[in-house]
Amino acid sequence: MHNTTGYIIKFTVALTVLAGLALSGMFYATEPAAKRNEEVFNKRAILSSIASHLDKPLAQMSDEEVLQIFKDKMEQKVVNTKGDIIEGAIAEKISMKAESKKNEADMELPIFTYKGKDGNINIISIYGNGLWDKIWGYIALKDDNKTIVGAAFDHAGETPGLGAEIKDNPTFPASFIGKTIFDGDTYTSVKVVKKVTDPKHQVDGIGGATLTSDGVSEMMVRGIKYYLPYFQKHKK
Amino acid sequence: MELFNIFIKSAFVENMVLAYFLGMCSFLAVSKTVKTAIGLGLAVIFVLGITVPINWLINHYLLSANGLFHMDLTFLRFIIFIAVIASMVQLVEMVVEKVSPALYNSLGIFLPLITVNCAIMGGSLFMVSREYNLPESVAYGLGGGLGWFLAIVAFAAIREKMAYSNVPAPLRGLGIAFILTGLMGLAFMSLAGI
Amino acid sequence: MTTKKEKTPLFGPKEKRLLWDPINDNNPVTVQVLGVCSALAVTSLVYKSVVMAIAVIFVVAFSNLITSLVRNYIPSQVRMIAQLVIIATLVTIVELVLKANNYAIWKELSVFIGLIITNCIVMGRLEAFAMSNSPWRSFLDGIGNGLGYGVILIIVGVVRELFGKGTLFAGSPIQLNIIGKSNDLVKYWIDTSGGAMSWYTNNGLLALPVSSLFLIGIIIWVQRSRNKKLVDIS
Repeated sequence: MHNTTGYIIKFTVALTVLAGLALSGMFYATEPAAKRNEEVFNKRAILSSIASHLDKPLAQMSDEEVLQIFKDKMEQKVVNTKGDIIEGAIAEKISMKAESKKNEADMELPIFTYKGKDGNINIISIYGNGLWDKIWGYIALKDDNKTIVGAAFDHAGETPGLGAEIKDNPTFPASFIGKTIFDGDTYTSVKVVKKVTDPKHQVDGIGGATLTSDGVSEMMVRGIKYYLPYFQKHKK
Repeated sequence: MELFNIFIKSAFVENMVLAYFLGMCSFLAVSKTVKTAIGLGLAVIFVLGITVPINWLINHYLLSANGLFHMDLTFLRFIIFIAVIASMVQLVEMVVEKVSPALYNSLGIFLPLITVNCAIMGGSLFMVSREYNLPESVAYGLGGGLGWFLAIVAFAAIREKMAYSNVPAPLRGLGIAFILTGLMGLAFMSLAGI
Repeated sequence: MTTKKEKTPLFGPKEKRLLWDPINDNNPVTVQVLGVCSALAVTSLVYKSVVMAIAVIFVVAFSNLITSLVRNYIPSQVRMIAQLVIIATLVTIVELVLKANNYAIWKELSVFIGLIITNCIVMGRLEAFAMSNSPWRSFLDGIGNGLGYGVILIIVGVVRELFGKGTLFAGSPIQLNIIGKSNDLVKYWIDTSGGAMSWYTNNGLLALPVSSLFLIGIIIWVQRSRNKKLVDIS
């Protein structure tokens, strides 16, 4: 009796409707929490670049505290590669992945300014290619926009234990602290090299992950360069 | 050029089995002889090459927020992907049976196995998470399938030779198969620099 | 329905075996070689392994239960699709719940949550057990098999994280730094009061996914040396 076409159709429809109802119910019940989690997650990623300048360790901060920092102490703006501020754009809404596909002239770049106990810190966003997939990072600069005071990197699929160390091993981003991206007035950025010869503008690469290190290096040079016109125009 | 890049990358560098270990169940179960391995491998190329683009179309035009329904239906993604895969496998089975009974006889028994092969579902899920476009997902599906094919055939060839070696009894069969796959995975990692 | 003996205890020796066998002699991963795909990629950290294990236990147990409840109504022609729909629904629920409660781990596990659908353990138990057994026993069988999978996952996870990273439960609120040298710079991210054996250098191989294949190979080796009847004769 279960093998008539009519029964099969009825069964399939019933099953589909039930599954669909259950899932859409679940989806609408969990969506607000998921959206908020995503927001906090992205904000934490930005804050991780200035972890040493925050009032307490990031891992111990509750979600509310993270949101509060962005409300009280964070200023956001969006600039273009000519150095002008784009009015009305929201820095958090910028997807670096989408921007990286545009022509240089059309890019919109986020800047977050943290006003904390160590003075103003500008956080800029960079994006590039690692060995396997995309890599990206946040670079925190002192108010003079020359000295790096913090960095955080992340990746989509670098090799664990090798390339993934740019995120997993805190000593790597920390090694950028104190470097300068200018030599006098010439832009040098900070390069990742096998053997550091110029400690002001170079950091040690990750052993066994040459291509990921090169990717970070290239991203540091190109990514920060997009911001240079803005730094030039808004010199203090 | 970009497409060729994705094809080569998914076949060799990001090999489904040896870099992500997807489809291990059938990889280990159906690799005792080269002949059966070729059969299963071909079926995987075929199904992966079809399902990834189809799932791309569905994901892009039906499920995404700016699709046909103007609604974020991504929570239906798993259900629809697996349904597409299951029905495609069934369809392929029927078509092959009608068109080429010879091929069906050599390939047929492997087709149902493919529905629950992680590599097929994984292909579609990776396609979404890496945000490929349509031509890219075609290249990715075919490349991923080819990579899986090459891996299982190479593995089966090694296993055939293993029959003549003196493996400690408790390690025989499954145990040594795991370790072998691990060694092959290590070898494939050296392709990462390409 | 067959007329069985009326008084069967709710949790007798048979039920106990349903739970215990898959953890030990009939382990889905090391004996039946099912569901290995995800066992490899998520075991780099114990925390990820635990979350994955819980997700799989939930999916196997409840898909077994649901399938067993409706087993007499499923037409044989669409059996496979019906089972897949049940599994996919449960997996989506797991994904949504995870995304709402722990976004970071959801991001880490990414596609591997979705791949529970094609985890052969789930499908295998539905076919082999739930289609022909009562709901309660199917549920226990599901939990047993999920646990059997989880145990292997966590063993591999502990070895990989401890010797590959020197920590345990990294990424979770109770991160422990067990062995290896602690670094001053680390303190902004995690609290490392320093581990033992500061001469120990992390083993890079264990951070790679391939290491889990070696580890599972070794687990199989140990298990089969202790239990001769599992040895592969072929």
